[in-house]
Amino acid sequence: MPQNFNELITYSKAFSGLTPDLEACLQDIAPVITPHLKRVTDSFYEQLATIPVTEKYLAGRIDHLKAAHLRWMTDLFTLNVDAQFAEGMYKVGDIHVKVNLPVEFMAGAMTLINTELIKLVVETMGKDIDKCAKALQAINAVTGLALMIMQQSYQESSIAEELEKFLKISGMSRTLFTNLAKAYN
Amino acid sequence: MRADMLTSVLTELNGTSGDIEASGVISTDGLMIASVLPAGMDEDRVGAMSAAMLSLGDRTAQELARGGLEQVLIKGDKGYVLMTYAGAESVLTVLAKPNAKLGLIFLDVKRAAASIADLL
Repeated sequence: MPQNFNELITYSKAFSGLTPDLEACLQDIAPVITPHLKRVTDSFYEQLATIPVTEKYLAGRIDHLKAAHLRWMTDLFTLNVDAQFAEGMYKVGDIHVKVNLPVEFMAGAMTLINTELIKLVVETMGKDIDKCAKALQAINAVTGLALMIMQQSYQESSIAEELEKFLKISGMSRTLFTNLAKAYN
Repeated sequence: MRADMLTSVLTELNGTSGDIEASGVISTDGLMIASVLPAGMDEDRVGAMSAAMLSLGDRTAQELARGGLEQVLIKGDKGYVLMTYAGAESVLTVLAKPNAKLGLIFLDVKRAAASIADLL
C-alpha cells in the first residue's frame, strides 16, 4: 500500500469540499445521528437484498457485514478526517477488491446510504433549516470523500492484482517488470 | 575486467558472421551486463525486452510441454532476434540480418553462451 495518506486526504478534501467547518459539523451532529445509524445500516442491507446480483456477496455473512458497515458509518461522524482516516477508507477499497466486489457496488452503496442519511437528517433536524442544510452538506462531503478514497484504492488494488496475475503467468520477476517499465519511461 | 572479457566474447561473436549486427549479455532481471550494439540502439530497452521475451519463452515451453527452453527466435522482415540463456542468470541476445544463415549463427551463439556462462 504505497500511499502518502497526508497527500491523499488533502487531495480528497479539496475535491469533496469537506471544509474544517463541515468537519466540525459532522462531530456536532454525531450525538444526534449515531444512535440512528443502526437503522440506516439495516435499511441499507434490506435494499441490497432486493438486488439479485448482491446476494452472493451477502449470503452467510450479513451480521458480520452489518457490524462492519455500522462501524464504518459511525467513523464518518466521529473520527477526525485526517491521514489515519484516509488509511482506513483506503483499506476498505482494498478489501472490496480482495472479495471481488464489483466496482459499481461502492458508488451504488454510497447512493443508497446517502438516501437513508438524508431521510435521517431531515427527520432529526428538519425543523432547523440552516442546521439541516449544513448537516446534509457535511454528510455529502464526507461520503463523497470516503467514496473517492475507496475508489482510488480499489483501482490501485485491481491494477496490482492484475499485475500479480500477469507476473505469475509470464514468469517475469517484479524486478524485470520494473526494469522493463523503466526502459520505456 | 569481467565486463571487458564479456565484451571481447561479444565482439568475437559479432565478428564470426557478417550477418550478426549486434549482441548483448543481459541479467535475467533485464539489466545490460555487456553489449556490442549499433549506435542509437537503446541498451535499456534491448536488455529489458530480451529478458522479458526469454522469460515468456520459458513459461511457454513449460506450459506447452516443450521441455527446458533452449532459445527464443523472433523473425521480422528486417531480421532476427535470437535469445538464449548464458548460464542460469543471464541472457545472450543477438540481432541478425534477414538473410542470415541461421545454422551457423546458432552454433556460434551456443559457443558464445557457454563462454559467457563460464565468465559469469
